[in-house]
Amino acid sequence: MGAQFAVAALADDTTTNSTEAAEIETLKQEIQKLDQKVSDLESQQQAQQPVADNADKKQIQDLDQKVRILSRERELDQDAAAAAAKTQPKITLGASGLGFSSADSNFVATIHGLIQVDSRTFSQDDHVQGNDSILLRRARPIITGTVFHDFDFNFTPEFGNATPGATSAASTPSIYDAYINYRYSPWLQLEAGRFKPPVGLEYLQTDTATSFNERSLVSDLIPGRDLGFELHGDIAGGVVSYAAGIFNGVGDNQRNTTDIGFQNDREFDGRLFVQPFKATGIAALQNFGVGAGGSWGSSSITNTLGLPNTTGGGSTSYGFSTDGQQQFFAYSATTVAAHTHWRFSPQGYYYYGPFGLLGEYVISDQGVENSTTLKTANLRNTAWEISGGCVLTGEDAAYNGVTPRHNFDPRNGGWGAWQVVARYAELNVDSAAFPTFASATTSASAAQAWSLGLNWYLNRNIRVNASYSHTTFTGGGAATATTAPASVSSHPESVFFTRVQLAF
Amino acid sequence: MKTFFKILLASSLAISASAKEIKLLNVSYDPTRELYTEYNAAFAKYWKAKTGDDVTISQSHGGSGKQAQSVIAGLEADVVTLALSYDIDAISQQAGLLPANWQSRLPNNSTPYTSTIVFLVRKGNPKGIKDWDDLVKPHVSVVVPNPKTSGGARWAYLGAYAYALETYGHDDAKAKDFITKLYKNVPILDSGARGSTITFAQRGIGDVLLAWENEAHLALKEFGADNFEIVTPPLSILAEPPVAVVDKNAKRHGTTEVANEYLKYLYSDEGQEIAAKNFYRPRNQDIAAKYAANFTQLKLVTVDQEFGGWTKAQATHFADGGVFDQIYQP
Repeated sequence: MGAQFAVAALADDTTTNSTEAAEIETLKQEIQKLDQKVSDLESQQQAQQPVADNADKKQIQDLDQKVRILSRERELDQDAAAAAAKTQPKITLGASGLGFSSADSNFVATIHGLIQVDSRTFSQDDHVQGNDSILLRRARPIITGTVFHDFDFNFTPEFGNATPGATSAASTPSIYDAYINYRYSPWLQLEAGRFKPPVGLEYLQTDTATSFNERSLVSDLIPGRDLGFELHGDIAGGVVSYAAGIFNGVGDNQRNTTDIGFQNDREFDGRLFVQPFKATGIAALQNFGVGAGGSWGSSSITNTLGLPNTTGGGSTSYGFSTDGQQQFFAYSATTVAAHTHWRFSPQGYYYYGPFGLLGEYVISDQGVENSTTLKTANLRNTAWEISGGCVLTGEDAAYNGVTPRHNFDPRNGGWGAWQVVARYAELNVDSAAFPTFASATTSASAAQAWSLGLNWYLNRNIRVNASYSHTTFTGGGAATATTAPASVSSHPESVFFTRVQLAF
Repeated sequence: MKTFFKILLASSLAISASAKEIKLLNVSYDPTRELYTEYNAAFAKYWKAKTGDDVTISQSHGGSGKQAQSVIAGLEADVVTLALSYDIDAISQQAGLLPANWQSRLPNNSTPYTSTIVFLVRKGNPKGIKDWDDLVKPHVSVVVPNPKTSGGARWAYLGAYAYALETYGHDDAKAKDFITKLYKNVPILDSGARGSTITFAQRGIGDVLLAWENEAHLALKEFGADNFEIVTPPLSILAEPPVAVVDKNAKRHGTTEVANEYLKYLYSDEGQEIAAKNFYRPRNQDIAAKYAANFTQLKLVTVDQEFGGWTKAQATHFADGGVFDQIYQP
């Protein structure tokens, strides 16, 4: 029984083994099939991968080209814009005015402007009526520029009440500067038109940069703007400056107002100014300058054109006038200019850091004739001045003015530049003028003036200043006189000035 | 007194014998920078030896058409060395600065050297560009300057057009269709040849640059022969860049004599050799033979043959509303 079971069991085992083997074989075949499928799939995938890579690569290359093209187009557009900009006129607007320039800078025009609103308040002058005033001292639209690179021009009309001593309230527009300047080089230039003759240092200083509202007594003996031709230039970068010209000729403290000259004779003016240390490294001396100006002219006929005011009373002609622009000297009505008139003016300045000094002396030797008595004389009038200043806020003082380091901007702590200035000046009339050529009872024979001032430069364009001037006279009018020059010269003049200035 | 006159005479002779310093301005087209840099130095040396005078030649380069307009507008060229005679004709006609017959004043119609248009391709020539018809295939990007402003571009345009005319039996419609397809493959137009070289070689744009032969050689030299190669098509255009003295400017500057000599010296052996070394085809056959290896032989057609001269070609193809304006849409 046991053996049968054993055989049967063995037979069962044999049957079971056969079935398992078949199943295993089947599974093996399945696995092989799956392996083949996997292999096939892997092959397929491997075969498809380069195609996908190539497509991606192509797409990347195309995109790369597009980016490069766009980048290059932008580059070319920028180049084209830069090239176009080189041919376009330029417009600039800033502290120096409104400028227009051709692309090559050969043609330039700049619009500038100057407005000065002044006040003059005289004290202890009840004998002179109506001289306290708020006035438009200067109102000038200024056009400067260049044509064909080398030809500069300046056109400056005046709309303000610019005539010192004028009693009329009317402001008569007139042309102050109108000239053309050919610039061959900095050292050789030729100027033609109406401009300041090259004589006085203070007079040549620009109106926006003078220390006080009005120039000193020295300017009473200096020729004002005139019509003529002038050769001038700066040598060695301004170490030497020269100017020499021929002009119609104007009297002391007069300017040509007629656009022509009604006399046959001309006046020769010239000036040489040296700044010997300008090109050196000696900072303390770089802005030291000294020189001399002068003029010579003659009248073949006697006339009044060459004289300062002869009518008295403060007409529209210039006279010898005070800081307050009141006439203190006038020739007699019978006095005419005759023969020669020459001037000589040694002059100099020194600027170092915030400090500045300016000094000038002038001799004006005027030939005159009394048209009634026919007596003649050469009257040698003289004047001198010295002025100085200190910029309290530390900026550099200069002949051309002060530029504030910090513009006025109280919200950000900017207060502009502040400067104190002082001046003393004298004018002496030749004693031979009295009584034949001028009245000793109406005109002073000398004037002495001192001035103190405070200048506030808010920025490059705006300046506000206040000053006080006191002038005393030698000789002059009676205390009861009511018309200039007698009324002016009868008492010392004390005047308080203010000014608000816009210059660009 | 005799001593005084002797001193005066000696001073006068000394002054007259002293060397003059002469300045010339050569207004040229884009790819001639290197040529004239070398030539100017050679001429200055020659002129110094001949006359004792120092001559300094300034160069101005840009697209030939633009350069001509600059001279017309006042650029004070003593001489012009431009890409094509039409541009100098424009100076003559519009500004009257030189006579209409200027081209007859020097040999070979005032063209001391010639050139042609070739293909500069990337190393290995991946797009397989061999001839002009390869340029119109899809996916070929062609770099060429603007024919409105570039002389080289006008030569290239006419080269392609001439190929089409030759290929299609002078069927102008087919040639126009060909040139249309070509410019559809142009992604960007520079104003001058040098700009296109930068676009292709430095900015990596495009598959082929249509370039002056000398410009292509220069690109190989500058950007590496391992990066680019030159393909010379079997047919191209004979480019004849002319030279001329701008009479009125030279007269005003007092440089007429030296300006004339400056251009004549281009025909000298030294001038021709410098041209050949800079890959311009010299007129002098001996020099051309000496530098034959620099220049692949090909069939060269002329503007006169294919287009009836520059005036006609300009009016037909490059004037406002001309064929180029019709076929090219940026």
